[in-house]
Amino acid sequence: MATRLFRLFLTGGLLASGVVFSAATLAQSNDVLIEPELDRDVVTEADINSNDFEFGAFAGMVSIEDFSSSAVYGLTLGYHVTENLFVEVQGGTSEAGETSFEKLSGGAPLLTDDERDYQFYDLSVGYNFNGEIFFSDGTTFNTDFYLQLGGGSTSFGGDNKFTLSLGAGYRVLVTDHIALRLDVRDRIFSSELTGEKKDTHNLQYTLGATFFF
Amino acid sequence: MRLLWILLTLTFSSIVAAAEVQVTVVEPYADMHTGPASEYPAFHAVERGEKITVISSHTGWYKVRTAKGVEGWIPGNALAKTILQDDKTFPIEDKDFDAFQQRLLEFSVLAGRIDNTNALSVNAAWLVTSNIAAEVSFTQALGDFSENRLWLVRLQHTAFPEWRLSPYFTIGAGQIQTTPTATLVQSGAETRTNDLLEVGVGARYYLIKQFSVRLEYKRLTALTEREAFEELNQWQLGFSVFF
Repeated sequence: MATRLFRLFLTGGLLASGVVFSAATLAQSNDVLIEPELDRDVVTEADINSNDFEFGAFAGMVSIEDFSSSAVYGLTLGYHVTENLFVEVQGGTSEAGETSFEKLSGGAPLLTDDERDYQFYDLSVGYNFNGEIFFSDGTTFNTDFYLQLGGGSTSFGGDNKFTLSLGAGYRVLVTDHIALRLDVRDRIFSSELTGEKKDTHNLQYTLGATFFF
Repeated sequence: MRLLWILLTLTFSSIVAAAEVQVTVVEPYADMHTGPASEYPAFHAVERGEKITVISSHTGWYKVRTAKGVEGWIPGNALAKTILQDDKTFPIEDKDFDAFQQRLLEFSVLAGRIDNTNALSVNAAWLVTSNIAAEVSFTQALGDFSENRLWLVRLQHTAFPEWRLSPYFTIGAGQIQTTPTATLVQSGAETRTNDLLEVGVGARYYLIKQFSVRLEYKRLTALTEREAFEELNQWQLGFSVFF
């Protein structure tokens, strides 16, 4: 499925670049015909480098309710729409440990190894509270404290669960392009792995580095 | 992994290709802020006749450097009003309602309900004319008993694109894949895929910059092998970003 999607994506990209290229050559040849003394120094907004996309990786700990804590890592891709609003896709993976019951009783495990794979993605909207941090008189970094609200899916215990994701974080812009992030997320989904159905809270603490482009 | 490399290469090339642009201030002055947002304090002002260099941009703010080497951020609207280069206006594309009406590509994220399950959708649309758009969408609906994945291709007709709050109609076709939850699989249920048809109505409201919100209702008909077609009602609310 994934490779098929990827191939589709690549073919689409190739087609699109082909169209753009032929359109560009067409436009150029028209310019030459109509206006041979074209001013080459015209500035367009595209000449200026914009840094509205944010791509990064994170790693940390996730506490999967009833299944102890484990390491988690993943990727993020965001787009900053205004100075305050941004949207972000996040995906990550972890592996759940054992419940206290499994450890103490020494009996049959609740889940197989495959079912312990914990994978998630979510789409969220974030709001930045812009600020600055002063390390010393001459060293200042721009920062954002942000809140995020999103929804997505978590694959755990052999099923995909609809997941509500609440997050808060702190971003320090080391340069205009590179930022360090500290994130706290709560992923809430309903689960009946331990018998009765309940909403589980899966808290995630991560450190990340992102790149603006 | 290959996707990652492509991404990295793209980012790198975009940095290398970036040009710095020299411009001259023509209005009495413009404030420079310490960061790319109105919350950051203004710490410096550039005067009429001063030559400054535009380095980069971030969400409508431009990083500039003065001849003396002072670096700071100026909002795009101030820059558009105050600065000319070679007697030409500095060309800043304002992302406003006019730009919205001329948009070509639009990406949307929507959340809602399909009957009694939560559903999330991502859409990509290409605006063929200002009235007609072709859209592809992928939806994941996660219920207590099954997981549904829907993909649809649809045509969207907006009768009054010049209205800020504008209704639209859609028709589409695609497929729905239903996977029972793990407990049901143990009792013998299987994954099935059916063709899907949709009709829908919705309304879109232009918010700010590249943002618009949309609310829509769709009637989905799954063509199953059983005697009756399966009818599904979908409500969703979401936002779109255009390019």
